[in-house]
Amino acid sequence: MTSLFLLVKISWRNLWRNPRGTLLTALALGLGLALLLISLGLLDGGHEQTIADGVRFGPGHVVVQAKGYQDSGSDELLLPAQVVSNIEGFLQKATIKHFVRGVSPRLLATGLLSSSASSAGVRIVGVIPEEERQVSLIPQRMVQGTYLTSDNKIAGVVVGDELARKLELKIGSKAVLMTQALRQPATANGTGDADEMQSTLLRVSGIFRTGLQAIDANMIYVPMSAAQALLGVTGDQVTQVTLLLVREGDSPMVARRLRTQLAKDPVEVLTWRESLPMLAHILGLDHAFNYIMNGVILSMVGLGILNTILMRVLERRYEFGVTKALGLRPRQLAVMVVGESLALTAISLALGLVLGLSVQHYFATAGLDLRWVFKAGLPPALVFDPILYSRLSMDRIVWSVSIVFAMATIISFYPALKAARTDLPDALKVL
Amino acid sequence: MSEWAIKLKDVRKTYRTGPIEVPALRGVSLRIGPGEFAATAGPSGSGKTTLLNIIGGLDRADTGEIWVAGQNLQVLSAGELAHLRLQRIGFVFQTYNLLPVLTALENAEFTLLLQGMPARKRREKVEKLFSEIGLAGLEDRRPAELSGGQQQRVAVARAMVTEPALILADEPTANLDSASAIALLDVMEQLNRSTGTTFLFSTHDPQVMERAHRLIRLRDGQITGDETRPSQEAPIARLAG
Repeated sequence: MTSLFLLVKISWRNLWRNPRGTLLTALALGLGLALLLISLGLLDGGHEQTIADGVRFGPGHVVVQAKGYQDSGSDELLLPAQVVSNIEGFLQKATIKHFVRGVSPRLLATGLLSSSASSAGVRIVGVIPEEERQVSLIPQRMVQGTYLTSDNKIAGVVVGDELARKLELKIGSKAVLMTQALRQPATANGTGDADEMQSTLLRVSGIFRTGLQAIDANMIYVPMSAAQALLGVTGDQVTQVTLLLVREGDSPMVARRLRTQLAKDPVEVLTWRESLPMLAHILGLDHAFNYIMNGVILSMVGLGILNTILMRVLERRYEFGVTKALGLRPRQLAVMVVGESLALTAISLALGLVLGLSVQHYFATAGLDLRWVFKAGLPPALVFDPILYSRLSMDRIVWSVSIVFAMATIISFYPALKAARTDLPDALKVL
Repeated sequence: MSEWAIKLKDVRKTYRTGPIEVPALRGVSLRIGPGEFAATAGPSGSGKTTLLNIIGGLDRADTGEIWVAGQNLQVLSAGELAHLRLQRIGFVFQTYNLLPVLTALENAEFTLLLQGMPARKRREKVEKLFSEIGLAGLEDRRPAELSGGQQQRVAVARAMVTEPALILADEPTANLDSASAIALLDVMEQLNRSTGTTFLFSTHDPQVMERAHRLIRLRDGQITGDETRPSQEAPIARLAG
């Protein structure tokens, strides 16, 4: 034990024989850790934002819809009213209620919106305004007018700014929405409404802008009652029920419990990863690419460290020979070199943590503004806020520190082995 | 326990570099008794270094018998040799070879620490030895803050502090001025007399040769002369091999 203390003492003092070299090496390794922390923070922050925005512009963290809707996209597949009330009743239970931030039923269809100037194909989203406000980001992205309210549910419509520009719509403008009445299995028993063209007059109450062309040029939001009347849907049927959760990480658990609850109903319960597979795929690729880049950065830093420690060992070959001649065993020599490397790593980690967490904190509060990168607009498949806010969990910090520590430790084994194998007659040529 | 501190019988060693063979020792037989103050002398390439390496267990002979402190070095493993060096042999190197990051006291107690001696006992032993050899007050200085003579005395303290049976010193005065060399030889001779520790030097230095109680001359890997100074008999009677 005392000899271990001596070895640690020698290791520590050896580090400061060449303070500048030690600090430069520590800085290199520290920069590696800092880069890792910064990139992981931006990656996780970016993904968190992307997921948060993606689900709130889309189908929520969890969506319940008629079985087969995800694959077919058929607007005729509707959720029966008793399933909707079953879902809403289940989500009121104390065991699950606190996981859920909002629930919004939606009725989806395709139609043609015409103004006095032009016409455009649109995706109709029938919503209950008060409930949609809890789930969707659209009410927060109004640039003109107001979002739907119960008061204007008869004739109100909210459109994206690109669609408004194309159709030359303004607040208060009139537009005609035309669509085909839905063929509903539950009601297609001789009512004669299915497949017939229906139209209704709407008044623009608000214009929104998300920055996403796919939404701003195509989506329109109308009150649920108006949508149901237009599409000939009766009995409070909807296309889907979307859930916004308090934490994204709870999505699989909530989906699993809903599946159990609705096991007897002809429905599918999907997490956002299943309902937005392209988004999940892009984020997965981004993760993989980031890991590869971090691996490359760490490998380069690691090679630098290996070179430095190896040089230190080779420079002191004679000294190692002396200590070995005095009775220091090869294993103790190896411990001394590994100890020196670990002490260097400890300094590096401290530097890296201070540097990495400082920059991370800046990006977490001020954000990294990438609007200059996306001047031409965002890629259509990407739901993305161009101001990135870093998010770094304690798990990530521990993981990063562990990776760098493990790498430095493993790297030190080779120089340690080299020192332990110092050949005495060769190393002590003077004697 | 052997009656000899060192006993060599027909020791041979040849270095090979590719096809080139360089015989370093050609059948050296030698006996050095406990407490002798002996030196090996000879021109460069005569085999002095190889001889000390082999006696110190730092290198192995090709053939022959090597007994040091009662142990047959030829049958010991590398670990056993390390243990023997730590417990029974002290080394003094030409260039002092103190660890630059340790103080004089820490350098001197290095081998005691490796032996696992408690801190207080270590400090007591080193401080006593330091006062005996004129290093008192220099305990906390790093090697760079000491003169060559002081550094070499710290190296002697490091070698002596474990009370080894044998001290091997490679040209210990080579880097010292005359006054420092004489002072160092005084210290070593005094320690030899007071502790009975066997000293074996390799040297070119006429001062060391003069002060040695026994002078073994080497040339081309063979002993060419072995003389005892009549006026400086070793504490224990020597028997030639």
